[in-house]
Amino acid sequence: MAAGRSTAELERFLAERADHLLRTAVLLAGNREAGEDLLQTAVERLLRRWGRIDGDPEGYVRRTLCNLAIDGYRRAGRWRQKERLLRTELRQPQDATGDVDLRDALVRLLLQLPARQRAVLVLRYWEQLTDAEAAVVLGCSEGTVKSSGSRGLARLRELADGWNDTAAMCGRNGK
Amino acid sequence: MSTDVEDLLREGMERFTADLRASAGLTCQVARRRRRRRRLALCSVTGAAAALTAGGVALAVVVVPSQQRTGIELTADVVKRVSSALTAADPGDIARMSVTTSSASPYGGKATTTTAEEWSYGDQWRSVTYSSPGHTLYDEGYTASAGSSVYTLVNYSTQTWTKRPGLGRPAGAIPFSTLPASRGCRPAIGAFPLLYKFGLPGIGLPASSLPSTVARSLRTAVSCGTLTVAGRQSVDGIEAIKLTSRPGSFISETIWVSPSTYLPVRVVVRSASGAPAVQQTADITWLSPTAQNLAKLTVPIPAGFRKLSLSAVAAPTFKQISPALLPRPKAFCLMPAVNACGNPPFPVGGPPLGSGYR
Repeated sequence: MAAGRSTAELERFLAERADHLLRTAVLLAGNREAGEDLLQTAVERLLRRWGRIDGDPEGYVRRTLCNLAIDGYRRAGRWRQKERLLRTELRQPQDATGDVDLRDALVRLLLQLPARQRAVLVLRYWEQLTDAEAAVVLGCSEGTVKSSGSRGLARLRELADGWNDTAAMCGRNGK
Repeated sequence: MSTDVEDLLREGMERFTADLRASAGLTCQVARRRRRRRRLALCSVTGAAAALTAGGVALAVVVVPSQQRTGIELTADVVKRVSSALTAADPGDIARMSVTTSSASPYGGKATTTTAEEWSYGDQWRSVTYSSPGHTLYDEGYTASAGSSVYTLVNYSTQTWTKRPGLGRPAGAIPFSTLPASRGCRPAIGAFPLLYKFGLPGIGLPASSLPSTVARSLRTAVSCGTLTVAGRQSVDGIEAIKLTSRPGSFISETIWVSPSTYLPVRVVVRSASGAPAVQQTADITWLSPTAQNLAKLTVPIPAGFRKLSLSAVAAPTFKQISPALLPRPKAFCLMPAVNACGNPPFPVGGPPLGSGYR
């Protein structure tokens, strides 16, 4: 898209993509309120630069969302992460819908990962970007994306394995 | 199971956000928010300017609210500038170290004991080595500015001196790269001492690091288990916390820190059994950067000394203390010629841990 876009184009872009971007923002921020705030800040920046952006505006918003989420995490400090950990207790699998619970648990754990790891996983598995594309969005090397993603997934796998072990134990004990 | 995690994560993210819809009129919300921030920006700038005036902080920057900038950005800008101004005004204290090195010769020669005084402050560093009390062996140091550094070495035995740009890169690349990251614990760092650059006089305090960085890194090392708190001991009248390195480390390191500041007041490093017995002890005091103390960082060149090349100035001293292991001019330790002389530059501590020698 060329620079010098009109306001109508902005409205059209947001009408088409705002839902998806909000979902990305919520995944990056951890909850709906924070996600909406994150998206509004990103759109605000988009608004200021709307006439000057060359290329894909969605890519610009995505990049802004990631940067804001990572910076916000840094500013918020560790206490917020700890608070979230205290608030979030993983439910044990209770029935045959254990996989569904596990999906929820994985997302909750995703929200507890460090911001960069979380951003990498969201970009890779939600936005379906390649490592190289994610690296461009995050402004880091492809190697960093791979290592961050690998660490994040490893953490999630630990949870999944623990989940299965617990489920098996519950099954054996007749729950 | 693990291969399914990625799919489950995708599905989980889909489910987690399935019912989310962006509110209609997002553009209007953003516009309202922008107007609100502009109003806040004016308040922030006015408040910050009043605070700065009251505090007497002179900022050579005039912050003008721009039509294009939000309140958060402007506030952040002001905070950043004030923070920069304060940092520039308070770069930290000068670490002054009194270093004693005892080393046995690996070749069966006589054991050597030397002492050195060392100062470390940002990009500046200086070390004066004595062969016996009051008898200066050599004086060396470097200053760094704008990305370049100048190494100065004065050999009192031969009454020669040299200056060489580029040598003596700003300290800190090695020792603190081995410290735990502030946000986590780096694995496998127990093999090397944290503060000490073994084989060289003095401890490797990093350039441009504030005392708070040193203290924080030590705290992190303790929390990561790289260092263990081993009680309290009195060090020169100060009730200090004793920190010890992991058992089995290649080099044992004991650090005493002040309970109030967590800054090191003494560091002792010993080689592990089996290696040539070497021990270095550094007593550290932290000096405020007054003009008098800053002057200690400059290597004076005595009148009448001759200027020669680095190798010519360093080699005689090096030969004099050979085959004793320590200490030696720091810049010289990296030079291939040292190895060619048959003196391993890092006999006990192994190779340099990073690209620089300190």
